[in-house]
Amino acid sequence: MSDSYFPVGPGLGMEENFLSLDDILMSQEKLPGRAESALPRLAVLLGQGAGSAESVPEGSKLEIPLWLAKGLHDSKRRIISVELPKIYKEAWRTVFSADANVVDLHKMGPYYYGFGSQLLNFENPENPEIAQTILQAMTLVCFLQTFIARFRRIMDSSQNAYNEDTSALVARLDELERALFQVGQKGLNDFQCWEKGQASQITASSLVQNYGKRKLAEVDG
Amino acid sequence: MEPAEVEFLAEKELVTIVPNFSLDRIHLIGGDLGPFNPGLPVEVPVWLAINLKQRQKCRLVPPEWMDVGKLEEIRDQERKEDTFTPMPSPYYMELTKLLLNYASDNIPRADEIRTLVKDTWDTRMAKLRLSADSFVRQQEAHAKLDNLTLMEINTTGTFLTQALDHMYKLRANLQPGESSHSQDF
Repeated sequence: MSDSYFPVGPGLGMEENFLSLDDILMSQEKLPGRAESALPRLAVLLGQGAGSAESVPEGSKLEIPLWLAKGLHDSKRRIISVELPKIYKEAWRTVFSADANVVDLHKMGPYYYGFGSQLLNFENPENPEIAQTILQAMTLVCFLQTFIARFRRIMDSSQNAYNEDTSALVARLDELERALFQVGQKGLNDFQCWEKGQASQITASSLVQNYGKRKLAEVDG
Repeated sequence: MEPAEVEFLAEKELVTIVPNFSLDRIHLIGGDLGPFNPGLPVEVPVWLAINLKQRQKCRLVPPEWMDVGKLEEIRDQERKEDTFTPMPSPYYMELTKLLLNYASDNIPRADEIRTLVKDTWDTRMAKLRLSADSFVRQQEAHAKLDNLTLMEINTTGTFLTQALDHMYKLRANLQPGESSHSQDF
C-alpha cells in the first residue's frame, strides 16, 4: 500500500508546500502578536469582545495562527506585529546549545523545525541566530538518531527482537524527526527481514488480514 | 530499493559448479553458458547455480574467499583500519547468505563462515554510523565511500540522504533568501 502512495512532504524552508498536509497542520499553530492598527468588526473572531460590530483596538495582544499572521504581515503597512514564541527565544536557544538531546521537541511544538523556518518570514533582528539554532538542533538530533540506531542495533543483535515498541524513544521527537526515524527503522527492518529469509515469503496483504473472513465471504457471494 | 532487489543483482555474480549431467552450450541473452559435463567445473551465475543445486544436478564449489582463514584476516583488517577496507566480493553478504542457505553441505565450516561474515558486517555498519555521525556534525557537503557494498549503502542510504536533505534546507535558511519574496505584492 505505502509503496504506491506518495504524499506531499513538508517544505521546510521559507515557503511551505501548498498541498502538504503536514505544512497545513504546522501553519495552524498560534503565534503571539500585537495589533498595530484597529481591526474593525473582528473582535468576535479574535476573542476580544462579544458584539459583531466591535473592533479590535490598536495595541491589543493577539494569538493568531501562523497562516493568518503571514498573510497580514507586511514590512510597510503595519497591521500586526509578531513576537517570537518563547521556545525560539534567547533563553531556550541557550538550552539548545548546551545539549539538544535532552529537549522534548514534541512537547515544544510538534513541528519545531518547520515552524521555526517559517518564522524567518517575519523580519526579525534575531533571524540568523534562530536559523543557526534550528540547524544545530538538527545536527544534534541526527547524532541522536545514530545513537538510537546504534542502541537499537546492539539490542537487536543481543535480544533478536526488533519488532518491539519504540514509543518511548519516539515520544520526544518532533514530526520531522519521526519521519526520519521511521525511514531509518525501515531500512534496518527490511535488511533483517531479508537476512532471515522472510522477504522471499509471500504473505497476505495487511489489508486482507484486517478484513474479517465473514466479510470476505459476503464479497465473494 | 529493497534488500531483495539488491539480492537480485547479486545473483548475477559468477560461481563455479560441478554438474552431474551433460548439456551443450546454452545461449542466453546475457551471455553463453556451458558446455556442461559431469564432474567438470564450469562457471555459471548464482541464480542458475542455486536452481541446479535445488534440483540436485550439481555440487557447488565455494568461492575462493569463502574460507575461514581468509575471512578472519579480513575481519581483523576491518577492525584495525579507520576507513572501509576492500571486500572480497561486492556482494559478500548476499553471496554468503544465498550459498550458505542453499548449499551449506558443499561449504566447509559453514557456521564459522556465517559468524565471521556477520562480524565483518557489524563492524562495517558500526563504522558507517560513526562516520555518518561525524559527517553530519562537521556539516560536510560531500564524502567518499569507496569500498562500501551496495547492501550496506542500501540499508542506511534512505535515512542518510533524507537527513542530509533536511539539513541542506535548514542551512539554506541561514542565507537571507533571494527567492523568498516571490509572492510579495
